Amino acid sequence: MASSPLRFEIHPSSGMPIYRQIMAQVRALVAGGKLSAGELLPSVRQMAGELEINMMTVSKAYARLEAEGVVERVRGKGMRVRESSPHGNTAERKADLRQHVEAMVTRGRQLGLTDEQIQAVVKSVLKEWPS
Amino acid sequence: MNECIIKATNVHKRFGKTKVLTGVDLCVPRGAVVGLLGTNGSGKSTLIKCLLGLLRVDDGDVQTLAEDPWDLSADAKERLGYAPQEAKLYAWMKAGQVVEYTAAFYANWDARWVQDLMRRWEVEPEQRVGTLSTGQLQKLSLVLALGHRPELLVLDEPVASLDPKARREFLRSLLEITQDAQHTVLFSTHITSDLERVATHVAFLQGGRISFFGGLDELKEQVKRLRITAAADLPSTFAVPGAMRTEVDGRTALVAVPKANDHLLDSLRSQWQADVTVENLNLEEIFLELHDA
Repeated sequence: MASSPLRFEIHPSSGMPIYRQIMAQVRALVAGGKLSAGELLPSVRQMAGELEINMMTVSKAYARLEAEGVVERVRGKGMRVRESSPHGNTAERKADLRQHVEAMVTRGRQLGLTDEQIQAVVKSVLKEWPS
Repeated sequence: MNECIIKATNVHKRFGKTKVLTGVDLCVPRGAVVGLLGTNGSGKSTLIKCLLGLLRVDDGDVQTLAEDPWDLSADAKERLGYAPQEAKLYAWMKAGQVVEYTAAFYANWDARWVQDLMRRWEVEPEQRVGTLSTGQLQKLSLVLALGHRPELLVLDEPVASLDPKARREFLRSLLEITQDAQHTVLFSTHITSDLERVATHVAFLQGGRISFFGGLDELKEQVKRLRITAAADLPSTFAVPGAMRTEVDGRTALVAVPKANDHLLDSLRSQWQADVTVENLNLEEIFLELHDA
């Protein structure tokens, strides 16, 4: 596992199909610069092995990312992040994040937390995961 | 890849007056990992036994590995692995002896892999079968079903009595065997979280028939719960076409639909001047929506 510095995390019991979760994370890593152009994604076998999911699920995610133009297939090597990724600018990245924040705020309100308490949770998570 | 490794057509099975299967249609494609879901008593085990020729169907047709399962050839049996819900093994044998005994029936037995599985699953070869716990017995039974890396693996509630650690090891082994997309697996279960990790397809057995068969991803993408908040109280007759379940409370309604799309959402919004939000459902929630109608 040490061979992969990228951190992927999936939730099989989420309502979002696993392949979409992988796609979203790859896009986020690319947008955030954690994966730069020319870098290779983990192989299908490696990713499936680490996440303990079906290889077909990973293949599906990679094929869709290829179709979107985020990565390209390099013969004999794997999936490489493309030069001009269409998910670049800050506004788009913020829009992506916004959806997740909305879901979080909804849950926070359902749990009866105040705005300050929700913000405190966010701050503590940011602290635990330094960029 | 339209080849059906298992094909059931209009299968009927009854026990006395009790009709268990009343027209099952199912095609399990090669390379699929299919989770068979149904409530207790829905007939999952009966269906599995009909597919394997352990029970004779009353009506309809089954083809398993392109043969009639009631009259399966030795060749087909070599390519088939089955672990029943409750394994019946010789109590006086040691676990290791049962493995050797079973291995003798298969030309393609993978002894090294089996040894590896027994070590990982913590099945002690020297222990007598009669003294094994239910969970240990289930693990041994799974080892026996997997040992020859069968082309078709059929498992009836394989994880029901396994602890979380053993379940994880079992899922890992399933992934190992299916990674070439040539091995096909059909397993019944009521633990949906395990299924979500490994299954490519799901089949719901409901009312004696397969009420849904399809890709797990497609299922999750299509079945949604709509939270509708209208401008005024909704009538008691409020209904969404094709809905699986509807719950109306004043101005709000919760509706589970088999196929959510923009057209449906827009028409609901305009018809009821409503705010409509779409919620994703996981497999367990979908299962409950389907069975709570």
